[in-house]
Amino acid sequence: MRLGFLVDLSRCMGCMACAVSCKAENDVPLNSWRLRVKYIDQGEFPEVKRHFVPLRCNHCENAPCERICPVSALHYLPNGIVNVDHNRCIGCASCMMACPYNAIYIDPLTNSADKCTYCAHRIEVGMMPACVVACPTHANIFGDLDDPESEISKYLKEHRDVMVRKPELNTKPKHFYVRGSTVALDPLASERPEGYTLFTEVKFLDHIGGH
Amino acid sequence: MLGAEVTFDVALPKVVWGWLVSTNMWAKSIATGTFLLGLYFIKRYPENDNFFRKWIPILGLIFIGITLLVTVLDLHHMFRFWKIFLFAHFTSAVTLGAWVVSGFVIVLLISFWSWITGNKKLFDKVMIPGSVLAFFSTIYTAGIMGQSTAREFWVFPAEMIQMLLSAAIAGSATYLLIMSIYNIQNENIKRELGYILIGSAFLSGLMYVGELLFSKMHSEFSYETAKILLFGEIAPFFWIGLFLTIVIPIVLVGIANEKKKYEYIPIGSVSALIGLWFIKHAWLLAPQMLPLS
Repeated sequence: MRLGFLVDLSRCMGCMACAVSCKAENDVPLNSWRLRVKYIDQGEFPEVKRHFVPLRCNHCENAPCERICPVSALHYLPNGIVNVDHNRCIGCASCMMACPYNAIYIDPLTNSADKCTYCAHRIEVGMMPACVVACPTHANIFGDLDDPESEISKYLKEHRDVMVRKPELNTKPKHFYVRGSTVALDPLASERPEGYTLFTEVKFLDHIGGH
Repeated sequence: MLGAEVTFDVALPKVVWGWLVSTNMWAKSIATGTFLLGLYFIKRYPENDNFFRKWIPILGLIFIGITLLVTVLDLHHMFRFWKIFLFAHFTSAVTLGAWVVSGFVIVLLISFWSWITGNKKLFDKVMIPGSVLAFFSTIYTAGIMGQSTAREFWVFPAEMIQMLLSAAIAGSATYLLIMSIYNIQNENIKRELGYILIGSAFLSGLMYVGELLFSKMHSEFSYETAKILLFGEIAPFFWIGLFLTIVIPIVLVGIANEKKKYEYIPIGSVSALIGLWFIKHAWLLAPQMLPLS
């Protein structure tokens, strides 16, 4: 079994239901994100387009985070998920330096590395990841890449415009995008004017957390 | 740019590894550089080996102590450091580094005991394993940088050479400074240390010029990182570092060696040591300035 994820960007409407459900399901603290949706505006009025890009761990087959972790806190599960053992993590942040997708963060409450685990705890009991359930347009498609009858395998077969982020790094991501574009998937293809983090830059009070 | 701009994203931390890691690399260069050069001078000038047999353990233990201290302080779970030995994951350069540095510390403790007791043979026995451990302690950080896939700018072979040159710069500058402070008059050793400092600084400068100006940038990320280093927000650190580590020591120590004006040596040595921290810091920060997602 090789679990994978696919996002059909033509279906995503940027509602953030996935991001919110992920936060709720996994108790992700303020200022930290396992899954987020980035908005990118392209063009000039009246020829303007907005891209919505959900970003999460790519659960790479050749995961740099797993390789660099000095204590195997990041490890593969038999189903291909790259999981985190919070109790083993020493907080060296090497995984954050290695991950080319900015998918790992240090949890300000536990001081351990954390990231999307494809909701491994839900999958273990036969449930879908929280973000898949919450998506109103079924833009998130999740399943077994080794099973030719799974929805994700069929989707990958049917679509020619499948992309992954940074394929040149040979990380072999198991997170695919359909109907993506360079603007959507290349972080250096768009400018970042001041203010795009307006509602997300949370300042911690001393007694709440931070490290 | 494709006429596009990010209009909404979450705020992600920019700098993951900061000044503690720069200090780690800097202090480690001094510890391993003084060890490796010390061994060389013990073999080359056995009649003057007391100076190096004394200062190898003192400098080594002080600066490897600083290295270990800042490494542990940088951990978000500093009291879980022991897990790196109990749950060692040997594909990681971090793990290999921890083990190699631990071995190096043991060698330094043996050399300290050898100096205290005057038992030279004891230190002689650990010189070969010590030099191997010092060598790998120097370069393991290049391995970590090479494994930092997200920071495409760092390439293991180039980083490894820079780490070795940093050790040569730091080791020679530190010994020159100590010789000046304690007024140790040994012209041959002083001049040779001076030439090692000049040579390694020159080669290090060549490497930077080659990497930044003449090597092919294989990705947009690397190209943008080079721009940040040369002209961006990190540029002041980088240029100050280059000036202090390369230009000033070459000029001042060069004058000292050629004109026998040894009073210039301390300034050149201190300049090299301060500048080395600036360069390490700039090199560490630059790839962290770019968005990854």
